[in-house]
This record gives sequence, C-alpha cells and structure tokens, in this order.
Amino acid sequence: MNTLIPAPDAIPVSWGYFKFLLMLTFPLHLILMNSMLGSAAIALYACLKGDETSKRLAYELAKVIPFLIAFAVNLGVAALLFLQVLYGHFFYTSSIVMGAYWIAVIPLVLVAYYSAYLFDFKFSSLGKGAVALVSLSLFIFLGIAFLFSNNITFMLDPEAWNVYFAKPAGTSLNLGDPVLLPRYLHFIVGGIAVGGLFVALVGKMKRKMASDVRAAAENIGMKVFTFFTGVQVASGFWFLLSLPQDVIRLFTGGDALATLIFIAGFLLALVVLAAGISRKVYAIAVLVVPLVYIMSFMRDSVRSGYLKPHFSPESLQVLPQYSPMFLFFFVLVAGIAPVVWMLRKALGSLPQAEEER
Amino acid sequence: MNYPVWYLPEIGGGTLIALISIIHVFISHFAVGGGLYLVCAERKGLRKNDGAIIDFTRRHAKFFMLMTVVMGGITGVGIWFIIALVNPAATSILIHNFVFGWATEWVFFVVEIVAIFVYYYCFGSMDTRTHQIVGWIYFIAAWLSLFVINGIVGFMLTPGVWLADGDFWSGFFNPSFWPSLLFRTFVSLMLAGVYAFLTTAYLTDQRLKSVMTRFSAKWVLSSFLAAIPCGYWYLSTLPNQARSLAEGASPTVRIAMQYGLYTAVLMIAGTLILLLVKPAWHSRPVSFLVLASAFLFLGSFEWTREASRRPYVINEFIYSNSIVKMDLEKINRQGFLKSARWVSQRSTTEGNLLAAGRDIFMNQCYPCHTVGGINNDIAARTSFMDYPSLLNYIANIHEIRYFMPPFAGNETERKALAAYIMKGIHGKSVQFTEETPEAVEEKGKTLFETHCVLCHSEQLVKEKTASWDRKKIRWSLDNLNRLNSSMPDYTGTAEEKEQVADYIFSLQGGAR
Repeated sequence: MNTLIPAPDAIPVSWGYFKFLLMLTFPLHLILMNSMLGSAAIALYACLKGDETSKRLAYELAKVIPFLIAFAVNLGVAALLFLQVLYGHFFYTSSIVMGAYWIAVIPLVLVAYYSAYLFDFKFSSLGKGAVALVSLSLFIFLGIAFLFSNNITFMLDPEAWNVYFAKPAGTSLNLGDPVLLPRYLHFIVGGIAVGGLFVALVGKMKRKMASDVRAAAENIGMKVFTFFTGVQVASGFWFLLSLPQDVIRLFTGGDALATLIFIAGFLLALVVLAAGISRKVYAIAVLVVPLVYIMSFMRDSVRSGYLKPHFSPESLQVLPQYSPMFLFFFVLVAGIAPVVWMLRKALGSLPQAEEER
Repeated sequence: MNYPVWYLPEIGGGTLIALISIIHVFISHFAVGGGLYLVCAERKGLRKNDGAIIDFTRRHAKFFMLMTVVMGGITGVGIWFIIALVNPAATSILIHNFVFGWATEWVFFVVEIVAIFVYYYCFGSMDTRTHQIVGWIYFIAAWLSLFVINGIVGFMLTPGVWLADGDFWSGFFNPSFWPSLLFRTFVSLMLAGVYAFLTTAYLTDQRLKSVMTRFSAKWVLSSFLAAIPCGYWYLSTLPNQARSLAEGASPTVRIAMQYGLYTAVLMIAGTLILLLVKPAWHSRPVSFLVLASAFLFLGSFEWTREASRRPYVINEFIYSNSIVKMDLEKINRQGFLKSARWVSQRSTTEGNLLAAGRDIFMNQCYPCHTVGGINNDIAARTSFMDYPSLLNYIANIHEIRYFMPPFAGNETERKALAAYIMKGIHGKSVQFTEETPEAVEEKGKTLFETHCVLCHSEQLVKEKTASWDRKKIRWSLDNLNRLNSSMPDYTGTAEEKEQVADYIFSLQGGAR
C-alpha cells in the first residue's frame, strides 16, 4: 500500500450510480471535444487552402466551434464531478503534483474560447488573421489535451508522485511514463477522426448551406475521418501494448468483460472504417456513438487495472442519503423539457436568422 | 496533510483563489440579474414599440453572452480547479457531501447556456413572445443556479445542524441560506444595471442613451436599497465568533468593511447623478467608476464572508490548513509528522529540525501565510519576535488570535516550526537565553515580547503611551479590547500585568 494515497471521503449513494453517471457523461464530453478539435483542424486547413468554397466552409465551422466549446466544457464539468466523487483522492493529488501546469488549463481555455469567438464574429474582416486565430485555438486544444493526458496518467500511478518532493511548486509533468505519448496520440488522432465525421455531418445536415460548401464539408470530413480512423486503429494497438503487463492481460482473457469489450470495440472500429471508405456518413454517425462508449469502457478498465493494487470504488464508505439524488434525477428530466422546447423553437426560426447574417 | 501542499511560497494559494473567485463572482452575479434585465429591457422596447431599445437589448445580449458564457463559465470551472489544488481536503468534502447539489446545478447550467444561445442567436428572427419566454427560462435557470451554489457556499460559513447530523439538507438550508440568497439576488440585479451602464456609455444616440441610462439607474438604486436590509439580516444569522470577526475584530476585515461602505456611498452618488440630475453626463469613465465601486462593494462583502470563516474553511469542522477539528487531539498525541502523509520528514530529531519545521510550516502556516509575498507575509509578521517568544506564541496562537488555527502537533514539532521560522526564514539564533537573575527581573520585557510585539513594535507602543502614567498603562492592560476592538484582551495573571506595565512604563524612561 502506497502511503501517499490520501484517504477518500464517504459517498452518499452506492458507487455504481456514480460509475453509471460518469460513464454516461464522459463519452458525450469526448464526442463534443472531438468535434471541437476536428472542426478547428479542418477550419485551419480550409483557411490555408484559401479558395472561395474553402473559405466559406471555414466560416461555417467558425460559427459552430464556440457552441462545441461551450457544450464540451459543460459536459466535461459533469464528467469531472463524478470522477472526483469516485477517484478524487487520486485526481486531486496528481493535479497538485503538476499544479502549475494544471491551473494553466483555465487561462488557456479562455484564450482559445475568445479566439474562437473572434474567428466567428470577425471572420469576414480577419484576412490572414483568421489563420492565426484558428491556429491559436487549435494548438491550445492540443496543449490542453496533453496536460489532461499527463494528469490522468499521473493519477493512475501513485509511484510517480514522489517527484512532488523535489518540485513542490507543481512543475512536474509525467514525461517519464512510456504510456503518456501513445495515450495522448490515441486521443488526439481519434479526436480528429470524430471531428472529421462531425464536419461531414454538418455538410450533410445543414441544408441552408450552399451546395458546393456542403459537398466540400462532406468530402474533406470523410477523408479526415477515414484516414485518421485507420491511424487510430494502429495507434490504439501501440497504446495497448505500452500499458503495463497486468493491464494488458485484462484484455487478453484476464477479465472476461474487458476482453469482450475490447473485441467488440475492435470489430466495430473495423466496420466503421469500412463504412468510412464507402462514405456512409449517417451509418458511421450511428455507429461511432456506441464505439466511443465502448472505447470509454475500455479506458475505464485500464483505470481499474492500474488502480487495482491501491483502490477500487467498491471499497468507498457509503453514508446513505438518497433524496438529493432523486432530486437531481427529477431536475434532470424536468430540465430536458425546456431545452428541447427551446431548441425546437430555435430551429423553427433559424432560416430567417441565416438570411439576416 | 492528507494531500500534498502545492507550495508557491511567494504567491500563496489563497491569492490565486481570490484572483479567480473575484472575477467569477462579479460575472456570475451579473449572469443572474442580467437575464432579468434583458427580458425587461426587451419588453420595454416592445411596449413602446421602440426599435432603438430593442436593438440596444440585442447588442447588450451579445456582450452578456460573451461575458457570462465564456468568462463566467470558464472562471467557474477555474474556481473548482484552484480550490482543489489549494485546499483539496475541503474541496473533497464539498464534492462528496453535495455531489447531487452540484449535479443539479449542472442541469441548470445546461438550461442556461441553451437559453442564452437561443435568446441571442434568434433575436429578431423568433416571434417576440417565444423569445421573451426563452429570456425568462434563462433567468429562472440562472437564479436556480444561484439558489444551489448559495446553499453550498453558505454551508461553509454556517454549517449549522450539519455538524451534528451530516445531513445534506441540514447543510444546504443552513442558517444563513435565506438572507444570503436574498442579498445575492438583489446584488445580482444591481450588477445587471451597473453592467448596462457600460453598454449605455457606448451609445451614440443621445435620446436612447438617456432613456436606457435612467432605466438602468433605477435598477441599480432600487436593488441596492433592497440589498442593504438583507445584508444586515445576513450578519445577524452568523454565529457569534464569525459575527465578531465580521464586525471588525480582525483588522483586515475592518478595512474591507470600510472599503465596502465608501464604495457603496460612491456608487449611490454616481447612480443618483445618472438617474436624476443629468443622464447626459453619462460617459465611459463614469460607467467604469460605478462599475469599480460596485465591484469593491461586492468584493468587500465576499472578503468579509471569507474572512469571518477563519480559522476554518468549513466552520467548526475543518481548519484553513486542512486539519479536521476532531482529529486535533489525536494529532497532538501522536505528532503531526506521523499523522500527515505528504511530509518529507516522519519525525523530529536533533539533525532535521529545520527540515521538519519546513514540512510543518508548509502544511500548517502556508495555507494563509506567504514567505516574502504580499499576502500575510510570515517574515513580516514575525520580524519583531525571537525564538522563545515565537515558541510561546505558537503554543497559544488560537487563544491569542481566534482566527488562526491552533498548532497541531507535539512539543518538539512546535520547536521545529519555531526554529524553521526563526532560523530558516529570518536567519536568527534559536538559542534560549539563560535564566540569570537579571533575566528574571526582565520578565516584563519577555512577556511584552511574547504578547505585544506580534502586532506592534516596541517603538510604536512607546510612542502611543508617551503621555501615559503608570496607572493608565496598568489599566489599559485590563481593557485592551476597549482601546482597540481588533486587540485581544491580555489573559495573563495580575502579577504578569504588573510586570508588563513596569516594562512599558520604563520605555519612556519612567521609574518602576
């Protein structure tokens, strides 16, 4: 037992509820974050390409990116909340060990977010500045992802926390961990792939866009999706093989459920790849959502495997009080109603808004 | 002690929390009141059939969205990040106890962003009735966010019955819940008007500028006047210790309160001018002045609230330095270094006194004290002391100054801490002077150095008492708190008071 691991606090309801909520919200956060990353990357490409259609595609994406950031952050908040309930004593510690970098996430997001809004609101007058702004957002996103990969790998490896004593100002990164790079790459490559799909969907679904822009969106989106999904399968194996032996064994028969998830994920990835090659946008979109969920479950198995010698959420003390949870579920359901109503009203009134812009 | 200390000695974690929270507080309150402002301004425009007002509302909505969704949203996450880095133990308690409170607030957050996006992006394209309903949905969701957060923030100062039963609802609907909710509601409405001054200052159409300035000034003034009794109600719900801190028992709080008062007056004056006398005088500098006053007003409230909680993060439960109150006895028994996880030294020996002292300093003092920084610099606060007086001071620190947590640890750890501050930080000697007969005679001086120089130098006391006779000095030692409400009463014996009085009197050359 590592003596540095803090004692956790008690939870109000059985750990399974939190695991469920974490595994429900985190993949949604991933999908939005991926769409945001991929849209920014493709917007940059389109700006650099510079022909009229590409420019208009870049502008269409510029309009979407701020929404994606808003909801990526929003769902990230939910996932982070449930993560902290189950794994807070690991997560807080790893955050402090890299504290100086970790807090930088906040100003970085602010800069990326405001650049994304400038990129949108000032698009027509930006000229070459457009490339600078969208690059700024994109590279900040990539940087933040790197910091998250550092924190999550740190969190899973209490042995690595000893670096704190040499650098209590939180200026350590987990660069010595051989898993860091493949893990980061896996998330980035996958992110851009899903982002490509998102752009293709925008092209498919936004009927008000000019047909050449729609075609360009679908074309480039699908190319990006297929290429990066191919790379993703390869990077996934690199990531898998870089994991500690105990963790790998979970997916090769050591744990029946983890092995099943792995096989299902791998097969589904191949199906999605094939669908990408034949450019079936809607089919891919329907398949990618469960794929992201399956990959998140794999990721969760990796986490459990790493933490097994130290901790499992089952061991958390429960001081039962269920009424606040029921209130939450009630508010969640009640909250969906006005959201759906507003979105329907908004979609009904948008065509005019589009002409007006 | 359960978690590592993120150690930035020159800056201090508290400074970083303050920096992010201040920004967030100003924007998050605006995010609530501003929602109602938008709805009302839009309705005013529709009723008067005034396109200019509607256009103004639309521009203000854009400013509002960029301010609240981006800056407000991200700094909100920022507070969460920074409190988890600086005070992970208390953050963990808040998260685990109120997880479904936070989760519920998150739902309101979702509704809020969807609503403000629809409100802004469909401005003009949506039928006006639906558009106003969306505005109302925004405001209600934002206010419900405030409702939830208010319960959790208030819990930290007045946990009430939760301390006994650990129940979610006892903690949430804590004694300061309702007054704080009302106060914050009115403050958020006030800020909505103040922010609108900013937008109106940029208007070029003089008629519209005058109309909207008056409209906004009415907002500010009425909600400000409504906030005042709520503030008093709030104060009255605080527990005695917290109230005495809030009412000025701590010098820093008193200064904060004064600033609050001055800026409040300034704000009213500024607003009255804009409202009644000359809306035409409204300009960008005026709007910034009123904005700054409003910030300082709210800032002083938040500062007072935070400071009144001392020495706790969660009142009567966990100290500012993450030590849980009920663990204190156990820590004193088995030693701090053996109880803590994240220390480099596990015990004190002759050889590691400074290293052990540094560990203790990082865990117990650094949460509020910087080393050479602006905020509560430990070097400045202990510069008048020597090793024996500091050692003695640490033993009674919580009794002498209520708002500082008691020292947690054993005898040798206390020595290690005093040694670290004296030698490690000041480079002073850590030897005890021998108790010679002369030293015994100098008892008054020793007592003076132990109890008085913590806050004022010998020179200052000498100047203040220059015209006093021995009798008045002796009297004052029984009435320190009456001399100055931030000065704690001296709790020594009558004999000790005589000795201190002798010493102070001798400073002016007076015979004993």
